Amino acid sequence: MSYVVGIDVGGTNTYGVLLKNGTVLMTAKAATDPDDLHSGTTQVLASILKSLPKSAAEIELHLSTTLTTNAVVQGKGLPTAAIVIPGPGLRCEDLGLNFKLFPVTGYIDHRGREQAALDYGQLRAILSRIKQSGYRAVAVIGKFSPRNLQHELAIEKLIAAEFPELLPVTLGHRLSGRLNFPRRIVTSVLNAGIAQLQAEFIRMVQEVKDRYHLDRVYLLKADGGSVDLEASLHRPIETILSGPAASLMGAQALSEQIEDAVVIDIGGTTTEISLFYRGEPLAERDGAVIAGYATLVPALFSRSIGLGGDSAVDYDGREVTIGPRREGPPAALGGPRLTPTDAVVALGAADIGEKERARRALEKMGASFDIDPSALAERIVTAFAQKAAAAIDDIFIALNRRPVYTVSQVLAAEHLKADLIIGMGGPAVFFIPKIAQQMKLPYRILPYHEAANAIGAAAGRPTVSITLRADTALGQLVVPELDYVTPISRPLFFDLQAARREAVAGTISYAQRMGTQVTPADIEITGEEVFNMVRGFRTVGKQYTLTAQVKPRVQQVSYNQ
Amino acid sequence: MSIMTQVGLVFFPAFDWAISPDHPEREERLLYTRDQIMEEGLFDLPGITEFRPEVASFQHIVRTQICVPSVEKVATKPHLIAAGGTITAGELVTSGKTRRAFALLRPPGHHGMRIVHGSRGFCTINNEAVMIEYLRKLKGGNLRCAIVDTDAHHADGTQDIYYNDPDVLHISIHQDGKTLYPGTGAVDELGGPGAYGLTLNLPLPPGSGDAELLYVTEHLVLPVLREFQPDLIINAAGQDNHFSDPLTNMQITAQGYARLTELLAPDIVVLEGGYSIEGALPYVNVGIILALAGLDYSGVIEPELEEYPSKNRSVREEVVRNVAYLQSVWSRRQEQDLDQIFGEKNYFLRERYIFYDTDDITEFQAEAVKRCSACSGYRRVYSQAEHHNGRVTKIGAVLLPWQACRSCRRAAEETCRQLEAEEELDHVYLQDPGCIHRRTSKNDERGEIIGG
Repeated sequence: MSYVVGIDVGGTNTYGVLLKNGTVLMTAKAATDPDDLHSGTTQVLASILKSLPKSAAEIELHLSTTLTTNAVVQGKGLPTAAIVIPGPGLRCEDLGLNFKLFPVTGYIDHRGREQAALDYGQLRAILSRIKQSGYRAVAVIGKFSPRNLQHELAIEKLIAAEFPELLPVTLGHRLSGRLNFPRRIVTSVLNAGIAQLQAEFIRMVQEVKDRYHLDRVYLLKADGGSVDLEASLHRPIETILSGPAASLMGAQALSEQIEDAVVIDIGGTTTEISLFYRGEPLAERDGAVIAGYATLVPALFSRSIGLGGDSAVDYDGREVTIGPRREGPPAALGGPRLTPTDAVVALGAADIGEKERARRALEKMGASFDIDPSALAERIVTAFAQKAAAAIDDIFIALNRRPVYTVSQVLAAEHLKADLIIGMGGPAVFFIPKIAQQMKLPYRILPYHEAANAIGAAAGRPTVSITLRADTALGQLVVPELDYVTPISRPLFFDLQAARREAVAGTISYAQRMGTQVTPADIEITGEEVFNMVRGFRTVGKQYTLTAQVKPRVQQVSYNQ
Repeated sequence: MSIMTQVGLVFFPAFDWAISPDHPEREERLLYTRDQIMEEGLFDLPGITEFRPEVASFQHIVRTQICVPSVEKVATKPHLIAAGGTITAGELVTSGKTRRAFALLRPPGHHGMRIVHGSRGFCTINNEAVMIEYLRKLKGGNLRCAIVDTDAHHADGTQDIYYNDPDVLHISIHQDGKTLYPGTGAVDELGGPGAYGLTLNLPLPPGSGDAELLYVTEHLVLPVLREFQPDLIINAAGQDNHFSDPLTNMQITAQGYARLTELLAPDIVVLEGGYSIEGALPYVNVGIILALAGLDYSGVIEPELEEYPSKNRSVREEVVRNVAYLQSVWSRRQEQDLDQIFGEKNYFLRERYIFYDTDDITEFQAEAVKRCSACSGYRRVYSQAEHHNGRVTKIGAVLLPWQACRSCRRAAEETCRQLEAEEELDHVYLQDPGCIHRRTSKNDERGEIIGG
């Protein structure tokens, strides 16, 4: 039987778990060194593997690390030149991007037809300038490039032939088949900037893999799926925000089946809201947003509220306001300000720091308004619950107002809702019951489990997704993520069934390329769009756009204390 | 990036609806526009927010139009969503949620008239009018609107609805009716006795382009708007005046349309026609959105755009002449002796045939408009529709204006009773905007009453 090791590199500590058949056999922990994420990881891994018999069968390592997240957030990516082929439309200056863009002449239109050829003279001049200016990474992004890969591929080829020192380059179409030129630029530039960092990381982990005879190593992605270590070389951007994904996956793995629920993770400074819909974690519609960058990276849905156990509290005689600032630890722990944590400490619900300090902070705030400390503490807890409930309502309202584009969808008015609240995080036990009361919903608080994120990392399964575009009038089928372009030789016989078959085959071959064996039963079609194309009262063809993925799966994990 | 104006976008391409599979009004119509907007990333821009359309209720429709026999029988769900989405756009602006709004949706509506026996010019429910009447109801009837319709086809439906309404200015700039459906929209169609000069039609000769459109905008539309001082400016933005449109003969470009939007600074834009679905709509709509948001639209250029040979001088001369004529009508509209135009009788009478190309119906209408000094006057309409299968429907309708005077109100009730006594009428309607819509039918004892 195979063993699975899950390791989550957190900001303070690195945790590891050892799983077999969905049962936690042991956990381990080491301090995280922010300058050397690797040391904590090896330490945890070593202590876990020590416990295994020498003859242990297969061992899989699943890692969730903050490496790429930190690199993006702290701007540690290499200086990257973005060669863009913008064609007509919004001017590059108005895209609101703070990257240096090098626009090249050329244009692919919405159908994927070349409307203007690339200007190679201009391109060579730009590449020379990029080389001389000391850029160390290059991304190439064309408008509508997922509809026609030729311009991006031609530029890559030119770089390989004449400017090999600029390799490798990130091409936009390989990272996402979705339409959104500005987000594709951002995703590609960030990806190119952290590619070298990822390469070094992969080399180090490979050494560990060899040293400990691990069979496979996977990295957790922002969408809760995982990617094979070596295969992440060209797509490191997908491993951003794996921390929040690990936390949600951990919740799912440790919980009984969840259908429609809102997950409230209460921390010191912020509260994170995520959702389950029909038993699966809800995904972001467009892609992850990180450090203000809107990307096309598939990610689990998450919204942050400036409300936590350590948020600063104010009272003006009528209303209690909480957050969004944190000005230090709670007063009970010697902090400068009254916080929600002090309220629960004063009420005797929590045993944190000195109760007397918490009471004094409440007295001080309430004194001029003649309110007694316990009454004020109750009001603070209620205000906390109201603020959280209102923010969650707003999230649901916004999600349920998401535009839809067909008559049947407008009339069906499918609504997201929660039947259950799931509470996580240190202060959850104090505030979740109140929030649940406010929202009139049952709740469940996940028992605190310091290794929950490591379990979440271990629970992720390799996933890939593709976009298939077939235009029978142009006689062409494209899967951008795979660099796959093929003529449709008999357009009259190409139907939705054929498109689905191609999408499934494409996903399988992509998964293989990414180091994972899957069967057609593992694939699901996640989106289908079919349009008749009529020109001059005559049907000239059909257009198919399909998305497909390896079904995400989460193994239930039991923990015997 | 420059500071952006907040724009609400109600985008509803109705990807599952067509008049018929190969009709210009089919599923595919806004597909390429969707792709262009998505690829440009416009929904991610800080000033642009997308909203879901609401579904208009029957009450919203009957306040505006008389559907024969009922809304249910002539309007489909897509019509109610398009009208509802336009209401959503109107509400965004009047509630202050966004500064401007664009109802980028289908099916279109500007050929939908006051009385509706079916679909004409691909239209049934008049989206702009349903929105205006909804907002007027909200404001208790106190709302002045200006509609500038720039579709290549004459906005005969909207003109018909507001023909005699002193609070709604309707300007239509279209390809000359002598050369294009529906054929109306000549310079001498200037409104009824209660709203003379508030219907303005500027027919453009075939071959007109950006220069002509912008000339009309600067020399006629903007001065008229400045003087009329509407609370809301609505642009019915049909895009079939584009040089690549298959149904018309105009030469407008995305740049021209965006410049028009910038000059007009409309509060609300509503898509109308436009059937060059690949060559025009993706670019024109991006141009309109950028112009509404106050962003630079100079990069929005159609791939097929070529230099057009400079136009025949007569095109430009005709436009200049028509603008000058309407300028003089506008400036003298208050001194105009209306008896000269509408006669000296108590009622102004008009008779006309209306053709429904989409549903193949021929309608004959006889209308009497009360010449009233206290309000714009109630109207009595006889309408007889002959359907393609030979079925004939005859109806009578009494229409009250907003802020009707007491004497018109009494007379309208009396007229309605008289109509109800007429044996040959299948249905008799009373429309009192903001108050009540009533139908009495020969073969339906219950009839229908919908509160306003």
